[in-house]
Amino acid sequence: MNRFKLIDASRIVLLVVAVAAVALPLLWVALASFKTPADLNQPGIVWFTPTMSNWAEVLSSDIFVAVGRSILVATVTVGIAVVVGSMGAYSIARFSTGGSLSRFGILAAQVLPPAVLVFPFLSVAYMLRLNGTLVPIIFSHLSFVVPVVTWFLIGFFAAVPKEIEEQARVDGFGRFDTFRLVVLPQVLPGIGAAAIFGFTLSWNDMFYGLILSPSNSTILPVAIAGFNTFRGVELGPMAVAILIAIIPVVIASFFVQKRLVQGISGGAVKG
Amino acid sequence: MKFQNAMMAPLLSVMAVAVGFPLMYSLWLGFTSYQLVSGGVADFVGLDNYMRVLSDRDYWASLSATATYVFLSVTFELIIGLTLALALQSQKWFKNFTRSFLLAPMFITPIAVGLMFRFFLNDQLGAIPYYLNQVGLSYDFFGSGRALVSLAFIDVWQWTPFMVLLLLAGLESIPKQPIEAARVDGANRFYIFRRVTLPMLSPILIVAVLLRGLDALKVFEYVYATTRGGPGIETKTIQYLTYQTGISYYRLAEASAMAFILLVIVLGVIILLFRRLERVNIR
Repeated sequence: MNRFKLIDASRIVLLVVAVAAVALPLLWVALASFKTPADLNQPGIVWFTPTMSNWAEVLSSDIFVAVGRSILVATVTVGIAVVVGSMGAYSIARFSTGGSLSRFGILAAQVLPPAVLVFPFLSVAYMLRLNGTLVPIIFSHLSFVVPVVTWFLIGFFAAVPKEIEEQARVDGFGRFDTFRLVVLPQVLPGIGAAAIFGFTLSWNDMFYGLILSPSNSTILPVAIAGFNTFRGVELGPMAVAILIAIIPVVIASFFVQKRLVQGISGGAVKG
Repeated sequence: MKFQNAMMAPLLSVMAVAVGFPLMYSLWLGFTSYQLVSGGVADFVGLDNYMRVLSDRDYWASLSATATYVFLSVTFELIIGLTLALALQSQKWFKNFTRSFLLAPMFITPIAVGLMFRFFLNDQLGAIPYYLNQVGLSYDFFGSGRALVSLAFIDVWQWTPFMVLLLLAGLESIPKQPIEAARVDGANRFYIFRRVTLPMLSPILIVAVLLRGLDALKVFEYVYATTRGGPGIETKTIQYLTYQTGISYYRLAEASAMAFILLVIVLGVIILLFRRLERVNIR
């Protein structure tokens, strides 16, 4: 019996350590956002007088313009991805359209190194004089959000029983109406999870944003990187910017975690 | 048009524009002398770019740094991830809270994670070096020979949750009967884990490792946030080198060739991953 207690105890210790390892850097950044430059230069300081100046500085800067651009890019990207992705995923799941080639293509597209695609986006943007706008960024985000969302949804469509579709057909629904009015409501939770997941992927991307967005149309991750100077004094405002980028996504993540496994594995593993 | 093809058409059109076309364009770029500043004039130069890249020692150094990074991070993510998944599986108190909290890092934008650790581990400003100093230890996290390991550590912080997520789902979906049967037969915990649980978990384990490996290969943000490739070129990973070649030096053609060589390597892993995924189907 003692052996089992030992295992239980070490399990709890392990989990406590893990929670602390996740929490400490985040907590440190959160505290840093309330510190003055002088306090930031003393990493060991425990008691300090919190200052709101970092928050005031960042909130009055144009960070929310970058936030707005990031929301715009992510919304347009996810909107397109959900429409074309759900139709395609249904076709693949229900009729195995294109056989394993379409499944392979979708998987390959979502793990493609972005370095392969970014230079064509850049050069075409110059040719079409779209450089400096959000259009190239949206296209670049479509390149990974669309395959991820489609892959995510295949498993959810495959789980819908065929019988309800057959019943709807008997009741006189056309094929597209069957999809739209009967099948789609069944996978709504999956679509919601896929949309939130796709949104975080677009929101989090910096590589495409850095290369395709010049300074006058910066998206949030690039704006955060802009706080990265070699002077420690920028640390306070940067901590605020980091928190602004982190908080909405982490909150959103709580709603999708349950369905994430099923989505990532393309339905191969049920969460 | 058949219904199923009509349903595929919008997806295929978007994929053709957003993935297919740039992929072909990038392949073509690699065979030209295109430079962003030359105003779009490009001559066909055959395999020149590929030859130059493949004979470039920095490229090979970068490939080897990337490989080391991927190996280090994925190995630790697997070990820690599996341990945590096992611990979480029999967790009872605060179950949902612990799980959600431990998974949080994988949703944070990598540039924020990189910057957070840049300062958390910083010599003068960081908390960790400060407390190490208090106990008489001095360790420069971004010094020579250490920076790449520190970067891998950042990857472990952010992406071990991904391992936990997949492995926990795998653990919870494997049938209970074989484990019960082994226990009735008097097998001890370790034996059951090694001979019963692990073999049943291995399909999802391999998928998780391959997915993580492919993703770690693209590391860019941590390098950009912390070392910018230094000290020397120690942490110049492949994606960072490609970025520098294309953007800082305007050599888009050469950068495209670099990216394509990487793509060929990656494609092998993708095929492996696809075969595995088609076979997993744990219900």
